[in-house]
Amino acid sequence: MKGQPIIWQRIRWQRIRWQHLGALLPLVLLGMAERAIAHGVVLEYNATQAYEVTAAYDTGTPMAEAQVAVFSPDNPSEPWMTGTTDAEGRFLFTPPSPGNWEVQVRQAGHGDLVVIAVEGEAIAAAPTAESGSPSTEATDTTDTPGVDTETAMESPATTLTPGESSNSGSSSPSITGLQRGLMAGSVVWGFVGTALFFSQRNPTTKR
Amino acid sequence: MHIPDGLLPPQVCVGGYAITGLATWYSLRQINRREDPSAEVPKAALMTAAFFLASSIHIPIPPASVHLVLNGLLGVVLGYFAFPAILIGLFFQAIMFQHGGLTTLGVNAAMMGGAALLASFIYSLHPIAKKWLGDRWTILSFAFVGGATGLCFSVLIFLGLVITQIPAGFNAEAERAAIYGLAIAHLPIILLEGFFTAAIMLFFYRVKPELLPD
Repeated sequence: MKGQPIIWQRIRWQRIRWQHLGALLPLVLLGMAERAIAHGVVLEYNATQAYEVTAAYDTGTPMAEAQVAVFSPDNPSEPWMTGTTDAEGRFLFTPPSPGNWEVQVRQAGHGDLVVIAVEGEAIAAAPTAESGSPSTEATDTTDTPGVDTETAMESPATTLTPGESSNSGSSSPSITGLQRGLMAGSVVWGFVGTALFFSQRNPTTKR
Repeated sequence: MHIPDGLLPPQVCVGGYAITGLATWYSLRQINRREDPSAEVPKAALMTAAFFLASSIHIPIPPASVHLVLNGLLGVVLGYFAFPAILIGLFFQAIMFQHGGLTTLGVNAAMMGGAALLASFIYSLHPIAKKWLGDRWTILSFAFVGGATGLCFSVLIFLGLVITQIPAGFNAEAERAAIYGLAIAHLPIILLEGFFTAAIMLFFYRVKPELLPD
């Protein structure tokens, strides 16, 4: 006699719970359709066209941890993005639209500016891939070894965009050690010639 | 030490050219007042060659590699000839090696040449100490101080310029730390240039005393 109300109570509670669950069910299904409403993490990856800027001093030492500012073609005064180079002086960015993108690299009052002419075709949507196995790699790039110019950039050869002409450039012309030596030598010879000219022309000179 | 193109706003570049123009005019006028203005040209030409080459001698001290500047030496050895010599040397460095830049030529020349004139002024005070130290030590000590001050002063101007002109968008804190690091890296070079200037002046004193500036 005494137990009956308790049983009824339990049944009532269970009903209430089921009613609640029933109300939640569409939400749960919706959540599954939207993939992640709460704690589930889904990683997707796309292959895109990225530009790699390699910054090095003219001695060949990479500019590690140097600050980089990227200016979009539309707004040359406010940086579109900022960042720092890695230990090898490399910095990677993906311009979303064609135009002349300016990349400024700066460290301790030294630095340079390079203008990257991004063509329309280079930005054409690369095929996107979605996979069950998540990957944190956003871009697919190849390394660019042996860059000895002050600031050089190299476009990566993405595997999903075959036949793309890889364009690269530099903020300063790359000259070999021999050319450098010749240039320095000719300038020095100019100075020595000036010295010789003035010392001969003027016999009262002290030299 | 050389400020490249594109890091400074145009006003600063124009200001640099204005100061350089004034200083060049003043130096040339002082040279022209001499009995024989071209007498020192051979010495100045050879020192310009040394200045031009000095920036190619890199000494790797993190965060950047630093190089010899020799503006203090030019100031001590050449006097008023130092400013035009440095201007010409910087011009060739800019067009040959993209070391510095043509827009910042004025700023760089004012920075290094102005410090060279200061070094020249310091050395010109050396007759005061001749009584106590004797010829040799006077020349040595004043050449050292002049050579070291020349670079030290231009490093200070460089610091002031690049710290106040960090463009928006860059992390000012990190950049400032890197600039201070670079300034500290210049301390050994400042001492080295002081010793180098003293050594050159001692060499002149022993071998060809008539080359010493008055």
